[in-house]
Amino acid sequence: MTVTFSERLLGSLNMFFEAVLRFLPGLLAAALILVIGLVVGWVLRLLVSRILRVAGFDRYCDASGVRAVLGHADIRTAPSILLGRALFWLVFLSFAMAGLSALQVGVINQLIAEFFLYLPRIISAVLVLLVGLLLGGFLSRAALLGAVNAGMPSPRLIAIVVKLLIVVLSFAMALEQLRIATSIVLAAFIIAFGAVMFGLALAFGLGGRGVARRVLERQWQRQREDAADGFSHL
Amino acid sequence: MVQGTSFLPDALRQQLAEVGQVDLLVGIPSYNNAGTIGHVVRAIQGGFAKHFPDQRALLINSDGGSKDGTPEVVRQASIGSFETILAAHPLRTVHRITTPYHGIPGKGSALRTAFAAAVLTGAKACAVVDADLRSITPQWIELLLGPVVRQGFDFIAPLYHRHKYDGTITNSIVYPLTRALYGKRVRQPIGGDFGFSGRLAEHYLAHDVWSSDVARYGIDIWMTTTAITGGFKVGQSFLGAKIHDAKDPSVDLSAMLMQVTSVVLTLMGTHVALWRKVRGSHPVPVFGFEYAVGLEPVPVNLARMLDRFRTGARELRSIWELALHPATAAGVARAASASDEEMDFPPQLWVRTIYDFAVAYQQRRVNREHLLRSLTPLYLGRTAAFVKQTREAGAQEVEEILEELCLQFERDKPYLLQRWEETGGGS
Repeated sequence: MTVTFSERLLGSLNMFFEAVLRFLPGLLAAALILVIGLVVGWVLRLLVSRILRVAGFDRYCDASGVRAVLGHADIRTAPSILLGRALFWLVFLSFAMAGLSALQVGVINQLIAEFFLYLPRIISAVLVLLVGLLLGGFLSRAALLGAVNAGMPSPRLIAIVVKLLIVVLSFAMALEQLRIATSIVLAAFIIAFGAVMFGLALAFGLGGRGVARRVLERQWQRQREDAADGFSHL
Repeated sequence: MVQGTSFLPDALRQQLAEVGQVDLLVGIPSYNNAGTIGHVVRAIQGGFAKHFPDQRALLINSDGGSKDGTPEVVRQASIGSFETILAAHPLRTVHRITTPYHGIPGKGSALRTAFAAAVLTGAKACAVVDADLRSITPQWIELLLGPVVRQGFDFIAPLYHRHKYDGTITNSIVYPLTRALYGKRVRQPIGGDFGFSGRLAEHYLAHDVWSSDVARYGIDIWMTTTAITGGFKVGQSFLGAKIHDAKDPSVDLSAMLMQVTSVVLTLMGTHVALWRKVRGSHPVPVFGFEYAVGLEPVPVNLARMLDRFRTGARELRSIWELALHPATAAGVARAASASDEEMDFPPQLWVRTIYDFAVAYQQRRVNREHLLRSLTPLYLGRTAAFVKQTREAGAQEVEEILEELCLQFERDKPYLLQRWEETGGGS
């Protein structure tokens, strides 16, 4: 009985130590991969940030309105540094996943596989959103300038509407990329967009017919005044 | 194949080969100018016959696809009897070609065709004149081509008497800025009617600028600046009054201003090493006999200009703040908030506004097209102040006011240089 007990105890301990010994190299490998990921990510972050800064990426972001979009989200960091940080986290996360897979745990391996399958969707959704925000800012400013120079009434409102439409559209597209409640998002977008257009049609067609007429008449009058102005600018 | 002429269609090449070598060439860019181009063609024909009777001459009309029969008018326009303007009949026939141009629709693309035709026909002296001119006479041809043919000039800019409110972009931006930058007093750098040598035409063609704003309204200032910065011999001829067809109301002021200023500011970036050293300015030789002319009054809507300026100040402040120095922005805000009676846009504020925009354009702090489109309300504000200041002024007094503005541009050039260096634009 005693032998059986000690045998069992030693057997269990042996199994435990064997498991620990089997697990240890994986753990060490995971830690090593993590450290390498940290170093590689840090070096890449430094390198990319510097190259972008020297290449005038921050100035380009200023000119194209990226900085303004970031400013709206209260992000004041230079875009070159921001991109460097994003790259660091991407590299570090990839190494971390590789490290975890070195542990050879079935559940973790499955989660990692799912993460890597989903990663392209996250990246493309972020890109779609970023492009939408940039395009919204750019076209909104173009609309504002066009409306001011054409002497149109409420130029700010026109610019806001343009921006809102593009941002909402890009947001819906990003959610569709992430496959988050695809059908609900699509239906909500169609309903919201249709409601806005229908509302505008009703407002101008019925309720605001007089206002619409006055706005158009004023615009036409302005165009006639422009034509009558004798200035030859060149 | 001669450099820069490969874009010409085969049909035009064939026509030019049939014409052969010529001494003189005059180009007319056109688009729906049937009402005026006949007069322009007859004036050129008369000019060739009267002033250059023994020279081989070619008139080339590059048309942008007119729907009103402009090319037919060019083909059929004839001076009829030369006896009314000449003592003797001309010795040579004036060759005439009308052709559609290729490339971006605009005056620049049309003139590129004329430059290529000049190079292929070996023309020694060339001129380009606008198709909407009502005041052109045969004398203009002598005044534009004569200094090139007889005195070896390479570029002749026009000098006109214009109404005080005619050519306000020229008077408030292009002339004073070009003069302050390059030190030459070419009074009408975007006049539209120029004379130039064959070798300058070849120099123009060697540049690859035909997909930029040079292809549109920017061509005139590009021709003038390229001639000055290329070290060519530059002069100007007094042509009298410039009276042209009523403007097309569909032409957008903002686009026009953007195209012209973008070319001026781009060239500024290209020739920084040259203009950095220039201080002050000096006159260029003037040809022709200057005389006073009566000009038709120009109706002005001052309230409308002020309204556009104030709307701009209210809506575009965030863009202006990216371009303007804080002191300049404060001055603009003060001008916009003043009442109609007290509103002023003093010369120094205007000069600093333009210099700040020039620096911001080089830095690309804002998208360049957006930046230049945001200049329109500021330009209208300055023009409104100018109209208020000169309402009762005569031509001489207005010219003195413009001279003072030019001197302000020259005096403030150290400010431009300082900001240019500070912001790293001067590399």
